[in-house]
Amino acid sequence: MKYAFILKAVLHSISHRKFSVFTSIFAISAAFAFLAAIGCVSFGLAATAVNSSLAFPLIVGPAGASDTTLVMSTLFNTDKPAGTIDYEVAEKLEKDERVSSVFPIARSDSYMGIPITGVESAYINEIVSRFWDIDPMIDAKDIFGGQNINCAVVGAKAAMRYDMSVWDTFFGSHGTVGDEDAHIHDFKYKVCAVMEPLNGPEDFAIFTSLKSVWEIHKHGHHHHHHEDAEDEEHEHEEAEEEHEEHNHHEAEHDEHEHSSEGKITAVLVKTKNPVFTAALEREYSENGFTSATDTGRTVRKLMSYMNKAEDAAGFFSYGTLFLVMIMVFVAILTSVNERKREMALMRTLGIGKLPISLMIFLELLFISVSGIALGILGGHALLAFCKPAIDFELGINLEPFFFTEIEFRGAVYTLIAGIILSLAAMVKIYRMNLVEEIAKD
Amino acid sequence: MASFERISIKNLTKSFKNADGGKNTIFENVTFELNSGAILRLSGASGSGKTTFMNVMSGLIKPDSGSIFFGNIDITSLDEGGKDRFRAENIGYIFQTFNLLSPFSVIENVYAPLAFAGKLPENYKDKVLDSLDKVGMKDFAAKKPYHLSVGQKQRVAAARVLFADPPLVFADEPTASLDRNSSELVKNTLLELNKKGTTLVLTSHDSIFDDVKPDIDFNLETGVLS
Repeated sequence: MKYAFILKAVLHSISHRKFSVFTSIFAISAAFAFLAAIGCVSFGLAATAVNSSLAFPLIVGPAGASDTTLVMSTLFNTDKPAGTIDYEVAEKLEKDERVSSVFPIARSDSYMGIPITGVESAYINEIVSRFWDIDPMIDAKDIFGGQNINCAVVGAKAAMRYDMSVWDTFFGSHGTVGDEDAHIHDFKYKVCAVMEPLNGPEDFAIFTSLKSVWEIHKHGHHHHHHEDAEDEEHEHEEAEEEHEEHNHHEAEHDEHEHSSEGKITAVLVKTKNPVFTAALEREYSENGFTSATDTGRTVRKLMSYMNKAEDAAGFFSYGTLFLVMIMVFVAILTSVNERKREMALMRTLGIGKLPISLMIFLELLFISVSGIALGILGGHALLAFCKPAIDFELGINLEPFFFTEIEFRGAVYTLIAGIILSLAAMVKIYRMNLVEEIAKD
Repeated sequence: MASFERISIKNLTKSFKNADGGKNTIFENVTFELNSGAILRLSGASGSGKTTFMNVMSGLIKPDSGSIFFGNIDITSLDEGGKDRFRAENIGYIFQTFNLLSPFSVIENVYAPLAFAGKLPENYKDKVLDSLDKVGMKDFAAKKPYHLSVGQKQRVAAARVLFADPPLVFADEPTASLDRNSSELVKNTLLELNKKGTTLVLTSHDSIFDDVKPDIDFNLETGVLS
């Protein structure tokens, strides 16, 4: 009964000081939610990267492309390709006895910000085992076979976002994602399948046949020439020199951002063992025409940068949490000073030092624990709310309700800090001569 | 109600240090005995040390020297916890102001001291409501102190004393700044308790207590006991 009443008194005291208690809890929660977000985003990013790197151990692209560009432009669709290579590179790799399979890819257009990538049917078979929906007239194992060159295989989240379903048609924007000068052309894609969710960047991608990419290139090329002709008709005064420069620029543009006929932007390679991966990487980096990267190593390098960023963000979050805890402690001690008379009255009424200091301890502990709990719940709820945007913008497969290590450590540190500060406040109250406070009056 | 036959004060002295380092003696070598159920009136001008004497007598402040026996218990020899327990079980207070704990409701304020001590009787809620009824505050049982006037707060403090039914009550200017009705109610509560055997230690400048004849009158200003 005695302890039940102490608990009741703590709850009364908290409800009596709603504003300051709420502010303290909110401050801890906000710092903690930030920690939860860092943990979840880093984990999601790591999981996506690791899964992708396991699938294709080697990537071969144009000469001069950095390791990071090769990985980001192929597996994550977040970077522009550095140029093109001949399709023959893929053919040569396929014949190599150290290689188990090759997947040529050609980055092309985009639709509503979603990259459209030209691939062969084998790539689709490799990444997806089931479709949410598929045109019944199409062979799922050879999705781009026959005359299906304008067939578009749409990622699950892209399909949901833009309400795309089988037999829908759309036009792509010429130019890859993020191009300011991208424009809509008249090559019509037809959705022939929607993939099941893969929890990776593929969910926000559209795949089409390599042939269609080459067709668009021809089409786009003609389109440009057609526009140029019109320009010439209407602007006869335009200097010939300038026109040549324009054509030269266009050629360079195509060379660097789109695959011409028979051209691809990269080859994803599955090797028979890691030793072959290293040998092939060396060979294809030193031939002067291509560059190659060991996906696992590059992803690990990226991850180590990310981990450093995560550590730095974690460090600041812990620092923020610590400062918040100090702030809460100071706020409580200030309120203790304001409550001296009240506590002195309690002492006068025979309420011992121990129950009074226990009340302060429990009050601080309540604030710490509530802050942590609300921070965790709020942080993860916020992540769940932002998940579609994070998935779409960053291509991260976020698990909003996954409890990460950084968060667990944060919870433990905050709880320990909360207990230490609560004990410090309790000792301060215990040592305070509250009765002298009355005597002073 | 616990009880003790007699309160014996022996050679009680208390002084404070002045700001200039000097010594200000509040009372010196005070010795007297008070029978259970008696009334001790502390008189003297403001600042003469009436409240200090009460605080020393209740064990809230340590005396410089001397002893205070409640029966055979010397409160000056008890440790802090012992004094807390002694106050919770034996002493009731009514102050001039600041009698109630603001986070608690009226009813909780009445039973809080015994609840914290783990000494709540059975059916305590009925008894608390009965005490509140006696001071006309039953309808305010669920209210928080900030909803009450000064007079109402004093009446709740009186109900707290009624409920705890302690053998000793300290009333420090209990009717100051109260209207006539509230003053009468508080006075009657104190006298009712005294009639039942409660020892009363009272300081008051209010003429309402003029007809109350103390067993001992201790003038702190002159140091005269009568």
